[in-house]
Amino acid sequence: MSNIHGKAYAMNAISPMKPWKTWIVRAVFFLMRYFPSATRNLVNLSFIHFARWVIVRRDAFPRLSAQLPKDNLKYDYLLFFSNFNGTWNQYIDAFSAVLSWGLNTIWHWSEKFPGAVPVTPLKNYITQGQFETDYYYTAYPHATTNDVKAAHRVQAAFDELAAAADKPADEFEKAYRRFLVRVQGDLGATGELPVGTE
Amino acid sequence: MSKLDSTDVQGFALRGYNFPLARFLFLRIPNARNGREFIARLVEHVETGELWVEGKPHTTVSVAFTYAGMAVLDLPQASLQTFPVEFVQGMKARAGILGDTGKNAPDRWDDVWRQNPVHAWLGVYAQSAPELEEKCGEIKALAEATDGAQVIGSQEAAALVIDGKISRKEHFGYTDGFGNPDYQGVNRDTQPGQGKLSPDGKSWLPLATGELLLGYADEAGELPAAPVPHLLARNGTFMVYRKLHQNVAAFRTYMREKGELYPGGEKKLKAKFVGRWPDGTPLELSPNHEDPAVVADKNKNVNFTYANDLDGARCPFSAHIRRANPRDAFGFTGRLANRRRIARRGITYGAYAPDSEPVDDAERGVIFMALNASIFRQFEFVQQQWIEYGNDARQGNDKDALLGNHEGAGKFMIQGSEDAANPPFLCARLPNFVELRGGDYFFMPSITTLRMIAAGTVDPR
Amino acid sequence: MPNQSGGVYGLTILSPIKQDPHLKISHSLAIRMYLQRLPQDRRSPFARVSSTHMARLVVMDDVVYVGSPACEEHLQAQYLVFESNFDGDLDTYLRQMVREAPKEVDAVWQHCDGYPGLADPGQFVRYMKRCQIETTFYFADVNDKTVQQTLRALQTQSAVAAFIEKNQGRPAAELQKAFLGVARALRNAPAPNPGNAIGREFADE
Repeated sequence: MSNIHGKAYAMNAISPMKPWKTWIVRAVFFLMRYFPSATRNLVNLSFIHFARWVIVRRDAFPRLSAQLPKDNLKYDYLLFFSNFNGTWNQYIDAFSAVLSWGLNTIWHWSEKFPGAVPVTPLKNYITQGQFETDYYYTAYPHATTNDVKAAHRVQAAFDELAAAADKPADEFEKAYRRFLVRVQGDLGATGELPVGTE
Repeated sequence: MSKLDSTDVQGFALRGYNFPLARFLFLRIPNARNGREFIARLVEHVETGELWVEGKPHTTVSVAFTYAGMAVLDLPQASLQTFPVEFVQGMKARAGILGDTGKNAPDRWDDVWRQNPVHAWLGVYAQSAPELEEKCGEIKALAEATDGAQVIGSQEAAALVIDGKISRKEHFGYTDGFGNPDYQGVNRDTQPGQGKLSPDGKSWLPLATGELLLGYADEAGELPAAPVPHLLARNGTFMVYRKLHQNVAAFRTYMREKGELYPGGEKKLKAKFVGRWPDGTPLELSPNHEDPAVVADKNKNVNFTYANDLDGARCPFSAHIRRANPRDAFGFTGRLANRRRIARRGITYGAYAPDSEPVDDAERGVIFMALNASIFRQFEFVQQQWIEYGNDARQGNDKDALLGNHEGAGKFMIQGSEDAANPPFLCARLPNFVELRGGDYFFMPSITTLRMIAAGTVDPR
Repeated sequence: MPNQSGGVYGLTILSPIKQDPHLKISHSLAIRMYLQRLPQDRRSPFARVSSTHMARLVVMDDVVYVGSPACEEHLQAQYLVFESNFDGDLDTYLRQMVREAPKEVDAVWQHCDGYPGLADPGQFVRYMKRCQIETTFYFADVNDKTVQQTLRALQTQSAVAAFIEKNQGRPAAELQKAFLGVARALRNAPAPNPGNAIGREFADE
């Protein structure tokens, strides 16, 4: 399944927008950059390693060959690329259930977007606009974004403990106990994705 | 608000039968004509969802069909094609998805599940052994008279009798049967904590009816995907049947050995694996000791959230009840868990092995049955993503401590605190405490649908 | 700078794919067939372009028609989409691609209009930038850790779990000695390889 590498899923989606609406979407993203509380729910969902939205204006599809006729497009296009964990259904279910406001704010302006709720018409729209990844690489395939964040927390705690490791043994033991409590929730094993995940 | 016609729903879908005895019959249907005749006569015996006004009946009968069974009954092809793909494939074909590998793999299942597909499941519950025999005898007589069904296997089940009394315990010694979901319109003994959290997180509301029954709005604000036509689907539900063998010897040995090392002691260790003490007290409500008053109080014994336990020091992240029903553990007032709830109907099988005696390896365990509108979105999701995998619980690939298919590897991290009686503690090299011995996916039709199927009048459009 | 989030850069490149109606195997199909066979693990060319967290190559055939009353329209060319999430700046990254994965870059981009080859890295960089589309909004869950830092942290995480299992209940002096051993082993461990599974290398320390 070329959309998946390790525990990550590479989703690509495209939707058309009437050019006058593109400015609204640009404004939405501008606000999202300067009001980080807007992305807080995204961080708390903790499904996504990296995601991006790319607006391609109707006259801006790259053209390098003189022989190629110019595009004659009516719409601007909103491209969406996500690197996420979990199944395709789970991902969209979650967004529809808890981030519908965000989905609507961004995609309301795409032609024939049905709204983020209920979820089945949303899934049908996404299926229509999604296109397959041909090659996908991840540097840490057996780790989800949860695993990565946990690992960084463990590394930080470990470095602190290692810095204190030459104390007398009973002091070290106390520091080790505190270390255990600090990392106890972050020690899940990494490994393979569950099979047949949809 | 949904209007529920409970006399059309099979009673088994609406409430658990706390009867002391049960027998599950697995049937093959030889052909459509005779099969329909059998169903036409059987439906008179099937227990509906109507409330019992004159006390409990002596027996109840429930029926459900696999896809293979629906196909033999000659439903129109166009209707058969509208059943969801996981139901069409059946549980055996989905073994990879469910993590049913190694000790849980289909090649180790009971014969009846390994060989030719079961067409129908019949659940007969009874108050006494003679009544059970009598009712099963009536059904067998129907099957023979119509030549419409053949019993190819059966499973005895019974509540455990401990010290001469009927118990709610299962074979590992935990009191079971808490926490069935609360659905809108379904009249049952509800308790706070069984439904979903209200938007302000302060109280509990029933789940949308469509999470259990087809034809009603679900938690996503739409009708769940259902077979066509409405007459086929309405008031029906899907049932997952899994026979779970319990390795009582391995369980007791592991708990005793690790219990000696765990500073909280063996009983607390057992509590950490499940999220409830053996008597049923939830760890969230009483982290240090059992509390019979809480267990006895309907308003308390399932009424808790994880909001004050985000580090897992009371109930570990991989404890069974926290994995199977995370409530608000993932934030968002529990909204990520509302569409993953299942109604459970469980009953033990096999002889109780008292603590004081060494355990033999006789057949004993739990018959696990789950009811939901969508096997894929509900049961399969929980099994694949929350039991056999741990990313949503932020535990990577670590499995449900009690149910996980560990195969001697894997680990269970018990989160704790600086309290010496509740330290962080790692349990490694987990055995399979539970093994799957078979089962399948069934469709439990409404009474109307049963009559339509019997009459052969299901038309796709 | 919208292409950047913290230390991570979100690169989006749309390279128009050559069109030649006389070919039995079109350029876009050739790209797809090549990519099907390209390894994804530590043998991936992107494992050598080692600042790459995640990257994908996608042949985008056309825009989408969403149904009436929207209008149907089509692109003149198909596009090779290259989406990458990496540490550091763009120029360094593109030059690293030339240095570490010239064979693969050539095999893929030779099918695209205007590809100048890799003889002059500067020209390649300019060519790629001509096809770059600015990222409108970029989200990175973790944007302040490099690939190496992440791989090392995963290694440490695995070692710590193994350590706890092995040393649970040990008296203080032995515990400390064992810990110093693991800390030393981790410090001296070779840099973990990107694209690989993190194993239990320290299970026996």
